[in-house]
Amino acid sequence: MNVLLMGHPNVGKSVFFNRLTGANVTESNYPGTTVDFTKGWMKIDGEDAELVDVPGTFSLDPKDKAEEVAVAMLHENKDAKVICVIDASKIERGVYLALEILEEGYPMVIALNMWDAAVDKNILVDVNNLQRILGVPVVPTVAISGEGIRELTSKLKEAKPVEINDIIKNAGCLT
Amino acid sequence: MKLTVDQRWDLIDKIAKQTVTFGEYKHTLKDAIGELTVKPLTGIPIAIAVMYAFWSVFGSFAGTLFTDGFMVKLFDGRFLPWIQDIFPGAGGWLYYIIVGNPLADNSFEAFGMLTSGLFVAIGIVLPAIFIFYLMLALLEDIGYMPRLAVLIDTVLHRIGLHGYAIVPTILSLGCNVPGVAATRILETRKQRFIMMTLLAIFIPCGAQIGIMEKVIPDTMGWVLLYLIGGYFLFGYILNKIIPGRSPEFLIDVPPYRKPMISNLRKKVWVRIAGFFKVALPFVLLGCGIVNVLYLTGFIDWIGNVLSPVFVSWFGVPEATVGPLIAAFLRKDLAVAQLSVIEMTPYQMITSVVLVSIYFPCVATFAMMIKEGAKELLGALAVLFAVVFLYGGLIHLIGILLGVA
Repeated sequence: MNVLLMGHPNVGKSVFFNRLTGANVTESNYPGTTVDFTKGWMKIDGEDAELVDVPGTFSLDPKDKAEEVAVAMLHENKDAKVICVIDASKIERGVYLALEILEEGYPMVIALNMWDAAVDKNILVDVNNLQRILGVPVVPTVAISGEGIRELTSKLKEAKPVEINDIIKNAGCLT
Repeated sequence: MKLTVDQRWDLIDKIAKQTVTFGEYKHTLKDAIGELTVKPLTGIPIAIAVMYAFWSVFGSFAGTLFTDGFMVKLFDGRFLPWIQDIFPGAGGWLYYIIVGNPLADNSFEAFGMLTSGLFVAIGIVLPAIFIFYLMLALLEDIGYMPRLAVLIDTVLHRIGLHGYAIVPTILSLGCNVPGVAATRILETRKQRFIMMTLLAIFIPCGAQIGIMEKVIPDTMGWVLLYLIGGYFLFGYILNKIIPGRSPEFLIDVPPYRKPMISNLRKKVWVRIAGFFKVALPFVLLGCGIVNVLYLTGFIDWIGNVLSPVFVSWFGVPEATVGPLIAAFLRKDLAVAQLSVIEMTPYQMITSVVLVSIYFPCVATFAMMIKEGAKELLGALAVLFAVVFLYGGLIHLIGILLGVA
């Protein structure tokens, strides 16, 4: 199995990667650090899966070279599953990227990362409702301390492609 | 099914309304500090203080404590006499290449692969880049770098770049190789070209800075001044003549965070390991190759050929040609070689500036090829023009000041 770790720059993807594979990647508190992508192996239910730390990207419409790499990597791995890492205190932007990836038919799990920082800012996300609307597993995580990581990997096998029409219906839109 | 951008945002709006609740937001101490370091009035003095602290710690720990206090004693007092004694065939060519001058009483003036080469790499450069990367990792992980980017944005726009350019610039102060890789965070080809060219020419790496502190502490300020001046002067010119766009920059300033020790350790280790893999072989090999070039008379020959340019146009002694050739392999080594050549302080400034700007080291060169051969050719063209013009300009300034 192929798993791509995607998300905005600076949401903690590389920390996730370290947690999941125990490899040598470093995360900086500024975007643009992971420019050469990194691969590693992780176990899911005793099965080896290849995990790729994709450079941070804001959308699938690339605006610099690092983002081009990210988009190309997604398109080269048509049968991959995606872990989409989203900043829990700014989910709108993260969901934008998640929707774009879902529209292309990739199965996905969403990590609402930096959950602790969101709680500090008094921002609360209704995880169950978000999960219901999007139709994909959503897990609150704190990558730095490791919270939620195990739950995230266990949900990976439930990831499946969703229809955008269903999301629209679930969100209660008429269009 | 694909949505349009507007449809997508509409949908997200609906989703967010149903799932996110905002409580009352309290202004925390962290926010207050965050604002103070980003507003120009308070931010610029703070940035200067941070840079000064960085510099002081770098100088005192790397230079005074590790190099002078420990490494010099170890290498000059123990290692050099030992290897001079134990290596067979003093005076022969192999001895000359590996150990160098049998009468040298310090590791600088021996110039063998295992004497000067090893001393420069382990004794001077290693402590310098260790301290540098440790402090950089600290600034990165706390979250200070994006704030620095915001502060310096306006200035960098003048040279066709924007605030983010501070990231490759500062990384290059450690080693130009990761600096070149980091140019990828800039959006347009124009910006990447300007950044890469300026890095390769004007940003001295940690190795060079470390060695300048050691061998020419009195004149190093001038060298750095000329390099910073050149960075902005030629950045300004490149921005005017290179076609293309330099977009505005939008940045997401992350909150200040407590750095994780394990992450710091890992980051410094990865970078130091990179140094051992990339730089150390070049230092030793460079030392050996330069010795061979001296032995075969090649350096004397090219020195003769180029001496009119060096002596009359740049105003530096003929003997500096050798170190300049060595500089292609390792610039730190070249600075060490220059330091033992007889010349006036101003000639020293000129020749060290020339070493810095004249050609990227092999490792950086390889990295630039990887980033784009066309860009590299362009950068080299700029480089030759810059070396010629700027070298002459520095000489001219020296003449006008009456010191050259």
